[in-house]
Amino acid sequence: MRQLNKPMYLFLSLVLALLLGASAATAMESADCLACHSDAGMVGDAFAINEGQFDTTAHAEMGCSGCHESVTDAHPDDGLTPSKASCKDCHDDIHKEYTTSVHGSAASCADCHNPHEVKSATEVAGFDMNRQCATCHEPEEMTKLHDQWLPQAGLHIEALPCVTCHTGSENYVITMYLLQRDAKNRYSNFVPASQEDLAKLAGDKPVQALLDADSNGEISLAELRAFNGDPKYQGLRLWGMMTPEKVTHTFQILDNRWDCSFCHASGPEAMQTSYVAFPEQDGSYARLVVEKGAVLDVLNGTPDFYMMGATRSKWLNIAGLLIILGGLVMPVGHGTLRFLTRKNREGKGH
Amino acid sequence: MSEQSKKMIYLQPTPVRIWHWLNALGIVTLCVTGAQIRFPEYVNLFGTYKSAIALHNTAGIVVAISFVLWIAYYLVFAGTLKQLYVPTKGDIQSGMLRQAIFYFFNYFLGKPNPHHTAPDNKFNPMQKAAYLVIMFVLVPLVIVTGFMLLNIEPLRNTLLMIGGLKMVVGLHFILACCLCAFIFTHFYLATLGHTPFAHFVPMWTGWEEVEEEHEEQKQAH
Repeated sequence: MRQLNKPMYLFLSLVLALLLGASAATAMESADCLACHSDAGMVGDAFAINEGQFDTTAHAEMGCSGCHESVTDAHPDDGLTPSKASCKDCHDDIHKEYTTSVHGSAASCADCHNPHEVKSATEVAGFDMNRQCATCHEPEEMTKLHDQWLPQAGLHIEALPCVTCHTGSENYVITMYLLQRDAKNRYSNFVPASQEDLAKLAGDKPVQALLDADSNGEISLAELRAFNGDPKYQGLRLWGMMTPEKVTHTFQILDNRWDCSFCHASGPEAMQTSYVAFPEQDGSYARLVVEKGAVLDVLNGTPDFYMMGATRSKWLNIAGLLIILGGLVMPVGHGTLRFLTRKNREGKGH
Repeated sequence: MSEQSKKMIYLQPTPVRIWHWLNALGIVTLCVTGAQIRFPEYVNLFGTYKSAIALHNTAGIVVAISFVLWIAYYLVFAGTLKQLYVPTKGDIQSGMLRQAIFYFFNYFLGKPNPHHTAPDNKFNPMQKAAYLVIMFVLVPLVIVTGFMLLNIEPLRNTLLMIGGLKMVVGLHFILACCLCAFIFTHFYLATLGHTPFAHFVPMWTGWEEVEEEHEEQKQAH
């Protein structure tokens, strides 16, 4: 092996030391920051970070100094306020889209997205999406406002995150999540089921196994029926919301959403894609895909999800048609015999 | 056949006639708007989906109120609900069969209807049984399920107790199909009088022309 000359040896040693040192410094830095900033008692609520939630965000991968570049080893004794990165430095496209929207001048990015807890659109349940909106848009007031033109506005708002109509999402999918109530009190209200409670019910299996019994990563119609018919789960219900397929930051009022038929005349084809979102330990949700068209099942697949005009069962339609045809038996059948035997009644007052 | 003469009897009092036609208009409106609500891609008779829903809800409320008034009229004012609508023991034991034999056999042979209409006995035994089921089971259930669907949020717990929203929607749809089937049958049977319009006229004027039987014929029945 050829020996390295001294300057080259020193140079390589320096590069290695810098690389190892830099990575160690970044890892150390985040851990150092969180040693204090995960404790609200130490830094106060305004500067406290939920470590568990932060660790699951894409931002955690960048480390604290990725956004707070000017923070020094001497913080906080140096008395300097660390810099904060602007969201647009990385999310330039979204920033441009957002600032030109009607919403752009009303709220900053952080007003809706806590950068230390931010999740992607598929990691939140539908009701979570509306929580962000509700910080400024009082739900009762919004219901009243929609009531001016939208029939059963409260029901619509319950089943639709605001962003399904107020972003540029062309389509929607059905995302269900589990609600729970005290199984002993049939009159108590349903609330979103917590991960802890579902984990208790699932026992030694993951919470997804409550529905995905065979753990194949897809919830079949048979599994849905079994879940809904199982007395063990009578304190749980699957609640469905129509969530946007793709979220944008344009926040417009889509013209086609004024027209009820956009959703209601979208037909059973629009009811094909659905998911169940399960709560994770970190507060996010993970979706499992449901068999195509399961929400169209006649009764027990998704007993509480129904959208007029689209979630109609084929079998009920056939049953209804047969009943109506049954009503035509007398006019057609009896009428034909009546016509053929008309001579028997001539002059007899029939 | 023995000689028969005609006489006019006052069969349908004004409140009953008003109720009947209001109900008829209401139920036909409900069926057609209901078809648009369930099959909006195929049926669009009322412009927008929203107007079909508004009309459906209005017609539903009108039919529900008229149903309550109808019950009140027969129970309280006329007091003839039981007499007219509840089949007697004789109706169940033999009357219904006799009437069925007439409709499905003797009618074609030109034999007379065994039932003779009178203000206190408007319906034949089969009509009684059919109307009893329609007016005391189908219509109230379709009204109750429709009322639930109009008030899903406040009645959420009730909906869950009876199996969920789909159960109520499915029941409402199937019951509505039964009522739609009834309308076809009802309309056709109404043409089976001594003339095709014989049963339509009294529902408009109140008066029906009936065959007056001789005393010996009455006794024979």
